[in-house]
Formats: sequence, structure tokens, C-alpha cells
Amino acid sequence: MARDLAIDLGTANTLVYMKGKGIVLNEPSVIALNRQTGEVLATGREAWQMIGRTPGYIVAVRPLRGGAITDFEITERMIRLLLQRVGVSRFTRPKVVICVPSAITEVERRAVTDAARRAGAADAQLIEQPMAAAIGADLPIDEPVGNMVIDIGGGTSETAVISLGGIVALEAVRVGSFDIDAAIQSYVRREHGIAVGERTAEEVKVAIGSAAPMEEENQAEVRGRDLMTGLPKTVVLTPEEIRLAIDDVVSSIVSSVVRCLAKAPPELAQDFLVRGMYLVGGGGLLRGLADRIERETQVPVKMSNVPLEAVVLGAGHCIEHYDALKTMFMGARR
Amino acid sequence: MIAVLIITLVVVLIGAAGYLVVRSRPRQDSGMSSFRRHIDALSPEARREVQDRNKRQREDEG
Repeated sequence: MARDLAIDLGTANTLVYMKGKGIVLNEPSVIALNRQTGEVLATGREAWQMIGRTPGYIVAVRPLRGGAITDFEITERMIRLLLQRVGVSRFTRPKVVICVPSAITEVERRAVTDAARRAGAADAQLIEQPMAAAIGADLPIDEPVGNMVIDIGGGTSETAVISLGGIVALEAVRVGSFDIDAAIQSYVRREHGIAVGERTAEEVKVAIGSAAPMEEENQAEVRGRDLMTGLPKTVVLTPEEIRLAIDDVVSSIVSSVVRCLAKAPPELAQDFLVRGMYLVGGGGLLRGLADRIERETQVPVKMSNVPLEAVVLGAGHCIEHYDALKTMFMGARR
Repeated sequence: MIAVLIITLVVVLIGAAGYLVVRSRPRQDSGMSSFRRHIDALSPEARREVQDRNKRQREDEG
């Protein structure tokens, strides 16, 4: 008998929680395929290391963009492999709860559940990421008070106001930390005339990226390919440059938080001033982001203790209390 | 004999129909108890197990 699973199928990383056991898998959502035969060569961390470094016949791809499936067949194969890795076989078909962005369309929802069922799940239910994040971040969402959670993932940023076990207000934008990486790539290409890869851009973001000026700031050396000569070239980037490069993306995230605050009922809005908002997701780790949101909304922003695992832990809690919480699943409320 | 059978059949059918009607009516407390179970399942006590398990895992991983 397979143990039921909760899956945070993120644009950047996939986490799997097994009922009664905890988090059993945490890997990048990447799959490497042989372009000619269609064979899967690697998944997860191994495939992630191949991004941008493969010969012509291998392609390392992220099958999800903006939290939605861009390649149904590849996603199904990736989920099948993930389920196999956590012990699901042809004869043991578990119930699966999958976290998805609240902004995905009906067609995209269907694609996720179909992919999970075809990959071996007996039943696949969906839960909104901010709801799962609030449960996983241990916010008191069972009480009649306003809880606000900001989940910044690889492809989406979602802000939700939750009270008495349900979502009161929600705002989502299909912008996330991958858009920050893309903005850095585009800036370096435009201003310094060198091409850098996705992984290098991410390294720059982690090393010197920030959403607001910091007390201690360093420069970073970046190596890429000169667009004019085609030769390898090194340039030095400053934190101010990176802030400028990513400002549009950061502003878009902050604006969505402001819009969500404006949607919240006044009775709950006053709770935020006392309790603050909670930041979860890998994108929330960008330095200075909490300060910038706090400055622009005048509401305290706190970082969750488990920013990367909050979503899967919340979904894991739903799989542990499946019958009591099944009304929270997206299909149940339609 | 046939009349008795028909009457019995009609009584059984009416009884079955009545039973189905009563069962299909939502019980007054079903919404309340379902909501209570939902809220109880989200309480900090109910969530402690998952949180503690994750904490232990993190400690084990160093």
C-alpha cells in the first residue's frame, strides 16, 4: 500500500512530502532528455547541472513556466520518475495533493491532475500555493484574524489574506525569481555586451542582488561571451546596477502586494499592522525585499522559518488530515 | 393474492422513496460539524506533528 503524497510542483524546485514520513524529496524541476530518442537521461539536481552545458543531442529543460505546465508529456514523465523515486510502483497508487499557483487556468489545472493520474496517482487534488504556504508557515489561520502571506516562487508571486481557514483576498502575478534572473541576463547583455547563462545570472542574484540598498555591499565578477568578438570576457557588476536591472520585476511584485492589501476587508486589514505579513518562497530570500515591501506598504514583513518548505509542509498537513481538509481542494469548491 | 402483492409492493416503494427523501435532506448540523472539523484540523495542535517532524528532519540533516 503506497503512502499518500503531497507535491509542491514548483517552477524552480519540486518537493515531495510522504504521509507519516515528512519531506522525502527536494530537487530542481528539471529533466534532461536525449533529443533524438526521447529517452530521459537525468532528472532533478543532476539535470540542473546540465542546463546550458549540454551537447546538441541532449536538452535539459524546465517543463513548468509560471507555475503552469508548458510541456505536458515531459511533465508527466517527470512526475512519473519522481513517484518512482519515492517508492510508488504500478501496483501502489497513492492519493496525491499537488500545490499549484492560484492564478492557473482551468485547462492548466486539468493538465496537472491528468499528468499526475497518468503518472500513477490514484487520485490527484490541487491546493492553492498561498493557502498551503500559510498552513506550512504555521500561521494561526484557524482563528478569525487576518493572516497575510506572500509567496514568491520561481514563476509566480502570490499574496493572500486568510482567515478562518479560507482565502479572503488574493492577488497573483506571473512574475517570480526566474524573471529576476532573466532581467539580469538582459541587463548584462545590453549594458556590457556579454551573454551570460541562466545559472550565472542566478549566481549574480544570490551574490549581490538586492531589492533595497544594504549596509554591506560587494561587487561581483561575471564571466560570459562577448557578443562582438565571441571571446570569453569578464566584467564587474555593482549592487546598484543589479538593483536597477531588477527594479521592474521587484516593483511588479510589490504592487501586487499593495493590491491585495487594498482588497482586504477593513476588519482584517487592522490585524496586519499588529501581526505583519509573512514572506515565503525562494524569491522571498532576495536581500532587502522584505524591507522594501515594508517601506512601501507600512506593514511589518516577517520571514517564515521555513521559506522553502512551507508550501509542501502545508500540503503535507492536508494529506495527513485528508478527510477534514478536503473542502480546501480547488475542485471541491467549484 | 395478486392484490396483496401489489399493495405490499406499493408500500415498500413508498417506504423506500420516503427513506431516500429523508436521507437526501441536508442535516442541519452537517455544515457546522464539517466546518468545525475543518477548523480543528488547522489548529496549531493538529499542525504540530508535521512541524515537529520537519524540525527533526532538519536537525538530522544538520
